[in-house]
Amino acid sequence: MIFILLTVVFVILRILPGNPVTAMLGPKAPPEVVKSMEAQLGLDKPIIVQFGDYIANILRGNFGNSTVTTLPVIQELEDRFPATLELTIFSMIIAVVIGIFFGSFAASHYGRAIDVTARIYSIFVYSMPVFWFGIMLQLVFGVWLKVLPVSGRASPFMTPNNLYTGLYTLDAILNGQWDVLYDAILHLILPSVTLGVVISSIFVRMVRSNVLLSLSSQYVISARSRGVKERKILYSHALKNAMIPILTIMGLQFALLLGGAVLTETTFSWPGIGSYLVERIRYRDFPAIQGAVVFFALFVVAVSILIDIINAWMDPRVRY
Amino acid sequence: MRSISKLFIFMLLILMSMMVFAVSSKDYVIVGTTDKFTSLDPAKAYEYLSVNLLQNIMTGLVTYVPGTTQIVPALADKWEISQDGLTYTFYLKKGLKFSNGDPINAQAFKFAFDRVIKLGQDPSFLLSDVVKETKVINDTTFEIDLKYPFAPFINILAFTVAYPVDPKVYPADQVYNGMPVSSGPYIVKRWVRDVEMELAPNPNYYGEPAKTPTILIKLYQDANSLYLALLSGEIDLAYRTLLPQQFAQLQQNDKFVTYVGQSPFMRFIVFNVKQDPFGNAKIREALAYAVNRHEIENKIFAGQVKPLYTMIPAGIWGSMNVMPSQDIAKSVSILQSLGYSKDKPLNITLWYTPSHYGSTEADLALTLKNQFESTGLIKCNVNYAEWATYIDYWNKGVMGMFLLGWYPDYFDPDDFVWPFLQSSASPLMGSNYSNPMMDQLLTDARLVSDEPGRTALYGAVQKLMAQDVPYIPLFQGEQQIAAKPEVGGVVLDPVQIFRYYLLYKK
Repeated sequence: MIFILLTVVFVILRILPGNPVTAMLGPKAPPEVVKSMEAQLGLDKPIIVQFGDYIANILRGNFGNSTVTTLPVIQELEDRFPATLELTIFSMIIAVVIGIFFGSFAASHYGRAIDVTARIYSIFVYSMPVFWFGIMLQLVFGVWLKVLPVSGRASPFMTPNNLYTGLYTLDAILNGQWDVLYDAILHLILPSVTLGVVISSIFVRMVRSNVLLSLSSQYVISARSRGVKERKILYSHALKNAMIPILTIMGLQFALLLGGAVLTETTFSWPGIGSYLVERIRYRDFPAIQGAVVFFALFVVAVSILIDIINAWMDPRVRY
Repeated sequence: MRSISKLFIFMLLILMSMMVFAVSSKDYVIVGTTDKFTSLDPAKAYEYLSVNLLQNIMTGLVTYVPGTTQIVPALADKWEISQDGLTYTFYLKKGLKFSNGDPINAQAFKFAFDRVIKLGQDPSFLLSDVVKETKVINDTTFEIDLKYPFAPFINILAFTVAYPVDPKVYPADQVYNGMPVSSGPYIVKRWVRDVEMELAPNPNYYGEPAKTPTILIKLYQDANSLYLALLSGEIDLAYRTLLPQQFAQLQQNDKFVTYVGQSPFMRFIVFNVKQDPFGNAKIREALAYAVNRHEIENKIFAGQVKPLYTMIPAGIWGSMNVMPSQDIAKSVSILQSLGYSKDKPLNITLWYTPSHYGSTEADLALTLKNQFESTGLIKCNVNYAEWATYIDYWNKGVMGMFLLGWYPDYFDPDDFVWPFLQSSASPLMGSNYSNPMMDQLLTDARLVSDEPGRTALYGAVQKLMAQDVPYIPLFQGEQQIAAKPEVGGVVLDPVQIFRYYLLYKK
């Protein structure tokens, strides 16, 4: 799959009009400079040779050097990845918490006001553009109420002293810098709420329908007949079993989450891989774009494997 | 028990927020921008923010007096130009040091110049086109020999491409991506790529020390984020680039002070004279008569640009208004004389690029379309392509008439006319304009060294341009800054060097 993706991205970039050298140098560079840059970047070779070089390098873990900064792409991605990871983790937590509580609550109150509200909420939130919601939150909490920062990962002079993981929250804890931790959490609130709320719509619907299904199953009926409390039935019996398909969906949602991260990162000037990708597309920075897309793909694959493992752990029927 | 833990958490939050706000002080100024910087190596830096940062952490042989276009010695004490205009000899100040303590001497300059030419990166042509060789006469005497006399050369030496670099740190054969070694007022103390950069004073700087101990430059993705950051108090000053409407609102807001200055940035229409019907100078002239610059200024840019009637913008010596104001009757009569009528209109396509010049670009293209069509004899289509594609199209001659902008490399009239009008340079601009008389005037203006003589020649160049109309100049940009009232030392100079080292908090 990754090989197909690599090939598709490589071909699309070459088919699109726009030369990375002229996009970078602009109108002023003389043709000799453009030619020599093309030679430096290997863009003067036949496409098939470029592709062969590219695949060979990827297999060796070399994503090439950015045409804009001349730095190794892998280094740039390493710098940016913790920001995206931190944002996605927090967004996922928000999405899952909203999804589980709202979804199971709606299922247990099937047909009542809370159920209708949950359904309207998920349709409304799903159809809401991420950047619009982000800007609205910025306006209300950043500009009018002035209680939360509107952009970036940290306030001036509030970055962790030593970066161990690149996750500001974790590094702040490891450094014992509690003020930095507080500041990093404040900065995470708006972007992760934006992304988390938008993603939560699918979870709410999934949890609701799966819990409904579980609630009508034989074991719930028998539990009820044994006089088990409704609350316990909902959270210990129905929800636990409903979680198995939801986990699978969570893995699939990760791809959507990363797509949303591109827009969220742009809205909140969040220095992750999403904003990196947008920025480098403008310059036709082939190695950087290819690197970022492959990185995203590997990330989704890794999460899918992780979800499968959790699934096996949760569902006694699954054994590898 | 539960209420005690709630109280504890509440107290902790209050304590932490106090710690956050305790950092605020007069010791730093936070500057926000939507620009990006890609390299801080003078051999590679070319886009605005990279160059502007270098202008604050490094300096060259000569520099501009803040707020003017006057060139004065910087690291050089004085200089001499030979009679034939081919040899420039610079006598350096004594005891100059880089921020790491290494000497700034003639060897460092020779290393830097040779390195720029050898690396062949983005701005290298500014030196490689004209410099024949460089010589170290002694530790403090540096000589540059030119291939041909080139009057604007001293202006190129004020640009970042001509800054010295430390030979012990910067590799001779590749671009340097590490922490810059400074020769200017500031050093880079901390740098989180694509996020922020912290500047601190350079203890070895020869000149007046920087006014503020710390400058923090924060990078934003777009104008909306920058605007919100300023409104929420996250930054002290916003420079480049807010939307016209946002800046207009800040001008009305008494919590902020706004500054407006002249900018050499200009916008214009390019005609590819090799593509029909734009090969006909009469058609280009008719289109020029149809343009209403005041409508563009007020309707699209809320009065934040200035109409431009020549290719040399105001603020650069030699500028002279030569293009006509809107005259629809004149435009109609030219078109009629060429055989166009309401039934047989002139069909043209205007190209623009949607984001490179800001979100106002589509409005600009539509306004121009309406102005052309107001003659009743023109049918104008509007087409667009994203920037990387746009450059490709103009290099391949796909577009016959398209919008473009120009920001100069050196502040001399030469840089506003030679790349556009000289026959070997104009194809790069997508125009392909060629006129032997124009070539002669442009070459003469490079050879003459006295300003009055050059002014007369550039006057003739501009008149000939207005006659041939290979371009329609539209407007000149403005530099805009919005800042908190306590920020002082904001100088907007015509050469668009923004000097962080003059900023301070009152």
